[in-house]
Order: sequence, then C-alpha cells, then structure tokens
Amino acid sequence: MPRQKIVIDPVTRIEGHAKISLHLDEEGHVEEAYFHVTQFRGFEKFCEGRPFYEMPSLMARICGICPVSHLIASAKACDAILAVRIPEGAVRLRRVLNLAQILQSHALSFFYLSVPDLLLGMDSDPATRNVFGVMEANPAMAKDGIRLRQFGQQIVEWLAGKRIHPAWVVPGGVGSPLTAENRDRILAGIPEALAIATRALDWFKNEMERFREEIRSFANFPTLFMGLVGDDGSLEHYSGKLRFLDAGGHIVADYADTAYDNYLAEIAHPWSYLKTSFYKPLGYPDGVYRVGPLARLNIVDGIGTPRASQEWAEFRDLDRGAVLSSFYYHYARLIEILYALEKIEQLLHHPDALDSHVRAHASVNNTEGIGVSEAPRGTLMHHYKVDRDGLITWANLIIATGHNNAAMNRGVLQVARHFVHGNKLTEGMLNRVEAVIRTFDPCLSCSTHADGRLSLEVELRSHKGELLDVCHTR
Amino acid sequence: MPHTLNTLSTLVIGYGNTLRGDDGAGFLAAELLRDRIHRPDIEILSQHQLLPELMEPISRASRVIFIDASVSGRAGKVHRIPLRPAPACARVTHHATPEALLAGAQSLYGHTPEATLYVIPGRNFQVGQELTPSVRRAVNELVDALEKELARHFVAAP
Repeated sequence: MPRQKIVIDPVTRIEGHAKISLHLDEEGHVEEAYFHVTQFRGFEKFCEGRPFYEMPSLMARICGICPVSHLIASAKACDAILAVRIPEGAVRLRRVLNLAQILQSHALSFFYLSVPDLLLGMDSDPATRNVFGVMEANPAMAKDGIRLRQFGQQIVEWLAGKRIHPAWVVPGGVGSPLTAENRDRILAGIPEALAIATRALDWFKNEMERFREEIRSFANFPTLFMGLVGDDGSLEHYSGKLRFLDAGGHIVADYADTAYDNYLAEIAHPWSYLKTSFYKPLGYPDGVYRVGPLARLNIVDGIGTPRASQEWAEFRDLDRGAVLSSFYYHYARLIEILYALEKIEQLLHHPDALDSHVRAHASVNNTEGIGVSEAPRGTLMHHYKVDRDGLITWANLIIATGHNNAAMNRGVLQVARHFVHGNKLTEGMLNRVEAVIRTFDPCLSCSTHADGRLSLEVELRSHKGELLDVCHTR
Repeated sequence: MPHTLNTLSTLVIGYGNTLRGDDGAGFLAAELLRDRIHRPDIEILSQHQLLPELMEPISRASRVIFIDASVSGRAGKVHRIPLRPAPACARVTHHATPEALLAGAQSLYGHTPEATLYVIPGRNFQVGQELTPSVRRAVNELVDALEKELARHFVAAP
C-alpha cells in the first residue's frame, strides 16, 4: 500500500480557520501529522506608526472572543511606557474584568464547543453534534451554558460599557470607577453562577470514566508547563512571576514576566502561519511547553478561594507529578470558572471596591513596554517600542495558542496514531483528531493576529504527496 | 441574575460587522434606533453576530425584529420577511440563524415570539466603516419607519 495523506479541512468548533493533514506510511499507519493555521493578519506590522495610547483599543480588535485579554496585556505594556504605577482600585477592576472574560470564554469553550462531544459522544451524528443538539438532548445543561456565558459577558458590559471591544481599560488604569449599582448587580448573580459551575463540574467528573481512551491519547505526554503565579505561588491571572514546571511536577524556574526574551524563543514552520514558542534553555523540541487552564492548575502551589481549592486538590490527585493529559483542559477550565466567580466576589467585597481613583496620568517616560497577563487560553504577552513622540516603532505579540502550538501538533499526531488506521476514514476518527485541538481551545484569530473566515480541514495524502481524501466544513 | 428577568413587548436585534462596509447596516440601524427609543418594554441590541445566548431575551419578548444586511438584492431597498422557528443544522456556533434562535427560545424557554427580519441589501462589503450612500438612506428610512411603528404599536409583554 502506498503512503497516503488525510486532510481535515476545516477543523470545526474552534475559534479561527485551520486544517489538519495526516500522512500515512506504506502500511497505512499514521507517520506524521500537521496542524496548519491558514489565516494571516499581521497586527504587529500595521500598528507601526500609531500612537501607543491607541494600542489597547487597536489590539482588542484582534479577537471577538477575548478582546478583554488583549486590552489588559496591551494596557499593561502602555503602563510601562508611561512608567506609572496604576492605582490599586484600577488593578482590582482590571482583575474583575479579566476574570469575567475568562468566565465567559471558558463557558463558551466548554458548553458550546466541547459538550457536544462529551454529552452526545465522539461518534454521534455530526449534523446534530453541536450546541443545538445539546439543547435537544439536555436542555437544562444548554440553559446553564447560555446563562453562565451571558453572566460573564454582562459583567464585562457593566464594567466596561459593552461586551465586545470595550475601550474602558486605558493606559494608566481604567476609564471610570465601579458604581454601587453595578457591584450589587454582579454580586447578586454570583450564587446562581456558582451553582451552575458546580453542576457542570459534578457532571464532568461523573462522565470522565466514559473517556478513558481519550484521556490516554489526547496530547498525553510530558512537556513543560508555563504560566503566571503570585508571589506566594498561588493562581494568578493579572500579574506575577512566570513559572516553568516540568512533567514531574518540579519547578524549573521562576522568572520576571517582562524578561521573556531571555527564556522564550519562537520558530516558524513552513506549513503554518502560527509561530511555535519554546523554552530557550532546553531548545526545540525539548523546550516544548503548554499554557492555559491545565498549565495554570499544574504550576500553582494553591488556589486562594475555598471551593476552587477543594476541586483543585482533587484534580491534582489525577497524577503524581503534573497532570499530563490535555483532555483534562476541560476539567481545569471548569475549576477556573469556579475560581473566577469566587475571586470576583472577593474583589467586589473589598472595602475600596468603589474607589474613584482609578487612573494615573503621565506622558511617555519609557520607549519600551511589556505587558503580560493570563488570557483564557494561556499567557499573553504584548511588547511595544515607541519613539520619543510615543509612536509605535515595533511590536511583538506572543499569544497563548502560539505557546501551545508544538503541543497541539504532537497531540494531533498522538490521537491520529491511536484512532486512525488505513485509508478508510470514519467521521468518529476525524472528530477525535479535531477534539484534541478543541481541548486546548485555540484562538487562531488571536494567534495569527485573519481575515474572518472560520473553520478546519483534514487531508489524507500518500507518501508521494497524492491527495487521497479530504473532509471539510464551511 | 435577576436583571434579565423583565419581559419585553419588543426586542430589536440589529447585527453585522461595522468594519465591513454595508455589512454593518443592521448593527447601525439598531444603534440609531436605540438613540431614539427609551421605553422599558423595548430592548434594542446591536450585535456583531447572532449567538445562542440571544435565545433567552428572545423568549421574553412578545415580538422580535431582526435587522441584517444582505449580499444579494438591490442596494437601497429594504425587504420585510416574516420568520418562523426552524431548527439549526449548523456545525459551528458562529452562524446561528434568526430561525434557529426562535426555535431554541421555544425549546429551552418555552416561548417564541412573533418575528420579522428586515433585510438591507448592500453593495460594498470591503474593509471600511462607511455605508454606501443608498444603503445609508435605506437604514435611515427603516429607522424612521420602525420608530413610528414602535410608538404607535404597543404589544403586551408575554
């Protein structure tokens, strides 16, 4: 039998446009697999020449799902250009906004994009394996998902004026303080949201047994893990030090977040517009690492909120060292939802939650600024250089999906080797190849910083490069 | 989350991408209408796209008006289309249709309202924030007409 290649195009239920190609050897076994990100935008280039203070609003346009994450990392980079220490009240409000963004994005990823696989089954009819199919099969769960995402978006709107592309986070702080009315509205919604998060966690833990094969084969291998931690090693999404942890659960290093250039490097591959990051001291590919909810729950020494702490302790018992299977990204995402709700509640109960001092003013005092925060999908880095007039001369964005690129590629190969055999494809096989990508919840619009089209493709090719089969959804 | 529990006589949802020329016609129509109408029983939403979470407010309305741009048809015209609920078969969540949201509102929340879609055909869908002049006129005329209709037509909340 000649070598062959399978193409999945487009990959569905992800944020952005991509395809997967699987190369088969002469015996029909998967020999190599590639995750191709086929969109390109180039935000880093076209922002050159713009005033730095436009950057948060401009960068928020990278994504319609996580604009708040870009706002925050960008504003932090601009704070560094101003060389200001922003008011504590502004830090608290930025934290609440970031957690609300994580809440709505995680709810979207879990309930809209992944529950169709988890509830209806990996081999179920693809025509109904979507959020509308979930509505038919389990209306209560669909309503929970809609409610949770709606609540996260509503918090963003109450704080920042609108749900998508708000301009409230500005260099030096935030545009306006929190009102008592909006604080009380948010707090009033927390109990119901906590109940939904708890139901979803209990349901997922009960269902895990059904997915033993997926747990075993969904990007389940040793890598490093990276993310922000607080000074005490606790879970952190806004600022802190960057920690690397190895697969055995040992801390490799803690670094200042702004010194990323010393320990991270990027390479480009000819098959994708998405660059691949790696940990410099170990080189590529030994320095492959993962970011996002799974990484964050692996690297921390504690969580800092009561209910999420209990869930985290149970989660950490899954493995002796770090929890390695990327299937558990779903689990970690649900624990982070619980954490986000508890933490928002804590922040809003702070005696100075309504502090009116929320912005520091200055002009350009540094010609370079770096902002790092944790986005839903992982660590987000914005790095700008400006001239004396504050015009951008250079920008570099390192996005969560780029950090995860090498692990996603390896994950696709592992799943394909486990489930794809011969040149006869089944839909369930291909869905698992896509589903491993969904565990990472990649945002391809962010990561290529694209022209709006959506979705993924799987190609099957012979060793001579002949295209034997293609699956895609438009 | 008690803020969302009020019932509505009318929900208006204008949607589209304001960075793609005439595609933003529905979004902009909703923005203009919101500047003119301030009634607690009417909610006006401007959206980049239709998403499943809209099913919940749809279920609380006695009627819903969708406003969208279209790549087909003569620019400068507005077409009025009555809608009926229809189940979705989309494999992704980014392409929810008004009919699917109506069906979802019924199946999840037990109520779906009377619904109308106003379609504004566009000419230019390239990158840019400006509407084609004829499309701009059509948006203004539609907003005028809806303002009058909403002022004289009170529908009891469900």
